[in-house]
Amino acid sequence: MIEWSESQQSIRQMVRDFVEKEIVPGLDEIEYNGVPPYDILRKMIRTFGMDELARQNFDKQIARDRAVEAGEVSEQPQADKGGSGAGGERAAMTLIPIIELSRHAQGLVTAMGVSMGLTGGAIMSKGTIEQKERWALDLLTLDKVGAWAISEPNAGSDAFGQMKTLARRDGEGGYIINGNKTWITNGPFADTIVLICKLDEDGVAPEDRKIVSFILDSGMPGLEQSKPFKKMGIGSSPTGELFLKDVHAGPERLLGGSEAGYGRSGAKSTFMQERAGVAAMALGMVERALELSVGYANERVQFGRAIGDNQLVQLKLAKMEVARVNLQNMVFRYIETMAEGRQMTLAEASAMKLYAAQTAMEVATEAVQVHGGYGYMRESRVEQLMRDAKILQIYAGTDEMQVIAIARDLRQRAGT
Amino acid sequence: MKLMVSVKRVVDYNVRIQVKPDGSGVVTDGVKMSMNPFDEIAMEEALRIKEAGNAEEIIAVTIGEQKAQEQLRTALAMGADRAIHVEVDEDIQPLTAARVLKALADKEQPGMVLLGKQAIDDDQGQTGQMLAALWDRPQATFASKVDLDGQKAKVTREVDAGLETIEVDLPAVVTTDLRLNEPRYVKLPDIMKAKKKPIDTTSLADLGVEAAPGLKVTNTAPPPERQGGKKVESVDELVSELKNRGLI
Repeated sequence: MIEWSESQQSIRQMVRDFVEKEIVPGLDEIEYNGVPPYDILRKMIRTFGMDELARQNFDKQIARDRAVEAGEVSEQPQADKGGSGAGGERAAMTLIPIIELSRHAQGLVTAMGVSMGLTGGAIMSKGTIEQKERWALDLLTLDKVGAWAISEPNAGSDAFGQMKTLARRDGEGGYIINGNKTWITNGPFADTIVLICKLDEDGVAPEDRKIVSFILDSGMPGLEQSKPFKKMGIGSSPTGELFLKDVHAGPERLLGGSEAGYGRSGAKSTFMQERAGVAAMALGMVERALELSVGYANERVQFGRAIGDNQLVQLKLAKMEVARVNLQNMVFRYIETMAEGRQMTLAEASAMKLYAAQTAMEVATEAVQVHGGYGYMRESRVEQLMRDAKILQIYAGTDEMQVIAIARDLRQRAGT
Repeated sequence: MKLMVSVKRVVDYNVRIQVKPDGSGVVTDGVKMSMNPFDEIAMEEALRIKEAGNAEEIIAVTIGEQKAQEQLRTALAMGADRAIHVEVDEDIQPLTAARVLKALADKEQPGMVLLGKQAIDDDQGQTGQMLAALWDRPQATFASKVDLDGQKAKVTREVDAGLETIEVDLPAVVTTDLRLNEPRYVKLPDIMKAKKKPIDTTSLADLGVEAAPGLKVTNTAPPPERQGGKKVESVDELVSELKNRGLI
């Protein structure tokens, strides 16, 4: 794949039209004035039938799960055989709205992605059939809002090591959960929460505690959801805290149906999915930063000539184009990988995330510089890209954690 | 009733058009192509007629190169039931297109043929009218409103003097203007489904149509670049400048 196909280009154009006509006019209310983003996202999802696609995929997966349960087929999901390309087409259809939304408000992608991809995805990958039917479908269509809660005040990158939220068995098959979670995307508005915590067992040392996960509903006694935090950027993605005081969760809420259902490895495989999305977000942001910068370089005249005539400005534009081409190639490679039904290595997915985050930040910063004083003004829109870009280097694994993941994976596969 | 809608593959309206250095036409290599916007409006109108229960089937037609099937796929994704691709590699002139559509109308017997009022590439704006003449059926051009009433259609037309409403007997030819409707967004699952809908491929020879090379493009040139203006200090200066240039 060296270019979007004609049909993908027309999807991009269509989504862009929608975003510019339906979302951009009311965007500042969502970005800065606390209007939740879910209604406009739902409108987009329904306009393009993304809910219908989600429902189709859900039905297929449930039918498969039932067949596996009945022993009719093996548990290994069948990869798309090379050449069918359906996986690639699906990946492209998922990534195009991410790219187009990120041109204007990356926060909308975060809010949508955490609900549909991360929370819905976690239940779809590890939940029981009953849990999928009860909770996942509504998340995949964004009829309900989801949050995936792992971080705590003292547990960020070292999420498992420092985790203090604990579940104790209640002796009747259920659990009592206590603790706090913070920096939780969609936390203030979530209807459904996947909560990752530790199992507090008598005789087990804190460092040996098992990781267990629960599916919680908003409004359960003892569960409190904070108001949205004020943040540097991505104002269109509400972020908040969760407080759990003696929250009682029955066994049907234990993700995967057992204490081994969704532990460390489950949470980690969720990290992998997040990383491809970041490259698509970065691509949308870099495309937009570049377009705005080229436009301004042509139009802004100082010392009797367009600032784009200056080589120092040209160098900035050239570097942005290099970044754009690289990011686009990464997105194409990801689509090709999916088309062949293959998986990226952890090193590659992490490398992609690391590069995409750093590049988006660099390009957005330079875009502000090209715009000068105007770039510092909210009206220019490049300052928002710069504030929004910073989070890409922090969430879904900081740059520093990506470096560790890349090096560790490379060294392990080298067999030393 | 069947509806037939013709859609043309043209350079996308967002593209900045570049003229080939030899003046033989405009650059289309590597340029984004899409469905002529007026044809998209025709397609949307056909869908609305069908959704209102006044038609059973919509057939999308294109005349052009192999890649024009992309535009048929778009029409199918919007909701056309099937499509016909008349494969022709040369440029299509309005009379050829009208002859093709006449041959297809004879074969398919549609109650209405809908076309954009013009294609944004050559802006000829003739095909609908020529089709009506060849087919010997009424025409309602530049439509901004279409109402069906049994075997008749009431069509409001945008003309220089304002709006004119006419009544035509069906079958008829309708060409669509910009304000007739706003075409829908295509749903992603429908794009997938459109891949499975049938496209029949045929040719001028199969249809017994002779190309009509009556028009010859002798040169294509970009519009002259605008000259910079001049600021004047007073009305007197303005008048004398205009006089100097022989403009008054």
